[in-house]
Amino acid sequence: MDTIANDFTINIATANGTGSQSANLILLQSLFEMGVPVSGKNLFPSNISGLPTWYIVRLSDKGYQAPGDRTHIQILVNPATWEEDIAALEPGSVVIWNSDTKKKTVEREDIISYPIPMSSLARKINPKIAKLVTNIIYVGVLAELLNIDQACLESAVARQFKGKSTAIELNITALGLGRDYCKENIVKEDPYVSESRKSEKPQFFIEGNEAAALGAHYGGVQLLAWYPITPSSSLAESVIAYGPRLRSDDDGNQTMAVIQAEDELAAAGMVLGAGWAGGRGMTATSGPGISLMQEFIGLAYFAEIPSVFWDVNRVGPSTGLPTRTQQSDIAMLYEGSHGDTQHIVLMPGTVEECFEFGWRAFDYTERFQTPVFGLSDLDLGMNRWACEGFTYPDTPMDRGKVVRDQDIFDAFETFGRYLDVDGDGVPYRTLPGSGMAPILYRGTGHNPMGVYSEKPEDYYNLMERLKEKINNARDILPAPILREEEECEVGIIYLGSMENTIQEIDDILEATGLKVSQCRVRALPFHSEVQAFIERHKTVIVLEINRDGQLYGILRRELPNNLVTKVHSVAYSDGMPPRASIYADRVHAKLKEVSQ
Amino acid sequence: MSDKPARAIKLNVLNEPKDSYTGGPSSLCPGCGHDQISSVIITAAWENGIQPHRIAKMSGIGCSSKTPAYYLGQSHGFNTVHGRMPSVTTGAYAINKDLLYLGVSGDGDSASIGIGQLIHAIRRNMDMVYIVENNGVYGLTKGQYSATADVGSKKKKGAANETQPIDLCALAINLGCTFVARSFSGSKKQLTSLIKAAMSHKGFALIDVISPCVTFNNNDESMRSYGYVKENEITLHMADYIPHFNPIEEVEVPEGHFREITLHDGSIIRLETISEEHDPSDPMAALTALHKAEVSKKHVTGLLYFDASKPSLAEDLGLVDTPLVDVPDEVLRPGPESLDALNAEFLS
Repeated sequence: MDTIANDFTINIATANGTGSQSANLILLQSLFEMGVPVSGKNLFPSNISGLPTWYIVRLSDKGYQAPGDRTHIQILVNPATWEEDIAALEPGSVVIWNSDTKKKTVEREDIISYPIPMSSLARKINPKIAKLVTNIIYVGVLAELLNIDQACLESAVARQFKGKSTAIELNITALGLGRDYCKENIVKEDPYVSESRKSEKPQFFIEGNEAAALGAHYGGVQLLAWYPITPSSSLAESVIAYGPRLRSDDDGNQTMAVIQAEDELAAAGMVLGAGWAGGRGMTATSGPGISLMQEFIGLAYFAEIPSVFWDVNRVGPSTGLPTRTQQSDIAMLYEGSHGDTQHIVLMPGTVEECFEFGWRAFDYTERFQTPVFGLSDLDLGMNRWACEGFTYPDTPMDRGKVVRDQDIFDAFETFGRYLDVDGDGVPYRTLPGSGMAPILYRGTGHNPMGVYSEKPEDYYNLMERLKEKINNARDILPAPILREEEECEVGIIYLGSMENTIQEIDDILEATGLKVSQCRVRALPFHSEVQAFIERHKTVIVLEINRDGQLYGILRRELPNNLVTKVHSVAYSDGMPPRASIYADRVHAKLKEVSQ
Repeated sequence: MSDKPARAIKLNVLNEPKDSYTGGPSSLCPGCGHDQISSVIITAAWENGIQPHRIAKMSGIGCSSKTPAYYLGQSHGFNTVHGRMPSVTTGAYAINKDLLYLGVSGDGDSASIGIGQLIHAIRRNMDMVYIVENNGVYGLTKGQYSATADVGSKKKKGAANETQPIDLCALAINLGCTFVARSFSGSKKQLTSLIKAAMSHKGFALIDVISPCVTFNNNDESMRSYGYVKENEITLHMADYIPHFNPIEEVEVPEGHFREITLHDGSIIRLETISEEHDPSDPMAALTALHKAEVSKKHVTGLLYFDASKPSLAEDLGLVDTPLVDVPDEVLRPGPESLDALNAEFLS
């Protein structure tokens, strides 16, 4: 039998709260340490314990990180989804199942069945924690079947349980039991194996949320005000966790405050208070939190208060699917709050960018004196991604036009808080406590001196300046990433975590004879390079993980009329991380539709 | 100061004239209680000898929240959004804990839309003075009842209010607020002492000031009109404030019973008993006084409750001594070696 190495998908069906997550991470990490290009997706419920969870591990020498179209190896531990999981399998798939599960068996003739008495094996170790150990048993079985390196396995266990020797020992014993049972009782009939690869550059796994949190520290965050919400909580918790290490003096006192607010409104208010006082404040939330923060977002825009908001997008509208992923907050962020507004949105597509935009967000918000959003999503934020390391900021902190010294202040002929001295739309500010040019900040209309005004020309000029200020940011914000070959007629514009699927989509399209260029947008307002990309192509598809094509909508409105007709939307979302074939099919369908 | 000519402008302990503490002209209705409170704020800050630029004036939305424009023109201020002043103040405080945060709010701002933020600021013992200019009606929207309107009280137009009011002082005492006082905009002396004492307090100081709305709620049937409050005020005690920089002998010692409370900056508030003695360290006594006043349709004023023992938010935040706004960028951003170490650990 020919083997299939590093090109298959494992689906592990368990219930949440049973300890399966650590078993699954050990499996992922051990493959990763072998150098196998591997990715893991946790499809978990909005629940603490007992509801179905699937963990998808994809091994792909091509580096594909999307979940893939089908399951090749199914692990069955959860009786609740048993029949459904079996029915979904294609002929020839493998099922590794817990044969101790009451009233459950595997009867399909067209699949390869490996019954394993996981519960009995687990009970041998410790009956009291048999349920927990069951999960690590299937990892032992997989290790044997897939030929996973024992040293890598043990190193992954050690990493997972960081120095807790009892847990490490217990897990290694359980892995051995699974391996041994498999060796003695199972005859391998399937072709799937893992093979070590020598990676060119060493890499590690990290979640986008942790990367963004580290970035915030290297941006010198001074206040984190937050309210817990999935899937952003781990971003805030990582900021907190790194505080003692990165931000403490010898006595353990920190240069960063953390306040868990009473709700998202208060969290946003605190961030504005910090910005007003001259500090770097941030919050981390998800769509429902941003909905609640709208009023303050408008105040920050109008009163020109630096403030950083991270939105780890989950599925909306309303409570939606709290533990599923989507790119559906783009429009809300770009035009947040009532009245005419326009905001800077940074859209990382990799963990490296989560880190980089984590610190740059503060530079932009202080430079432009306007709220800045980081838009990540559940897929990027809560799953682990390979990373070669983070790069230290290459520029000093940009604190913007803050007048701190009396001499500098005295040199101003006239000082007005909202006076556009330099003609770039960005005024100068002084800080509370400084005694220089004190004003009463407000969300009401004001003149360049910061005094309340309802005069038509004051309002008009203020709104025009704000527009100009954001417009001037375009080409200073991160430029799009272009992958372009001259002969391509079709270009694809996409954003964010779609980065992890785009290569596979591209390969599928190319296999059908369609070569496309790619443009990954990394910030709003659009960089001028985006329009140039559209100009160079005959047809452009905007690919995004939502229903309405939000990025497309913004683009359409901002492009010159003669370019609008070139641009088309392919938007799709079912809550799952993007699967390449779905988008590739829809790109084909759209091209067919527009060519008619 | 004896070498000054007799007609010289009066100066405070910082040699500042009172003019350094005034603001712009008020646009409120003539006779508004809020303007009296603004003038008391000016006096209190001046007499307390606080550098005006070290005060941050905070407010929400409403008639009361417009007043920061009318006092302390040398202070930065933030007229935020409706009911959300406490959170903005909390964020500013985290960045610059050395400023004196002076919040002014109204009954709509504090008892309705912003009651959650008020409650949580109290819970954190956020270090600020929080004055509620409480008139029982919404002024800017032309006279609707607010959540503090007393049962049976009737404003100029419309029916009497029959909905149970929220007593912000009782609420604050129940939440463990560390400084709770009620006063009346017409009781200038008492209010001045209370605001001065609140400025010397470390922690959340709530002063609920009955401040009649002359336009919508100053008729005889209103329980928050000048006439009604003057007739029905129960004053717990006379209050005298003795600043920490004044020798105590200079203050006239009142006769009879009095109680002295030392505040965090060493200043003293001296409470002179009027009828039965009130113990401000006893929350039950404070709640009883409020309850008795309510059933007899009266307003009790004075320092209701005080507790100096609780840590304020500053202690909870675990920050370096330097206010974060003054921490240099090189200290805020961890050095490159720390990132090298992290990268190496992740890779190991």
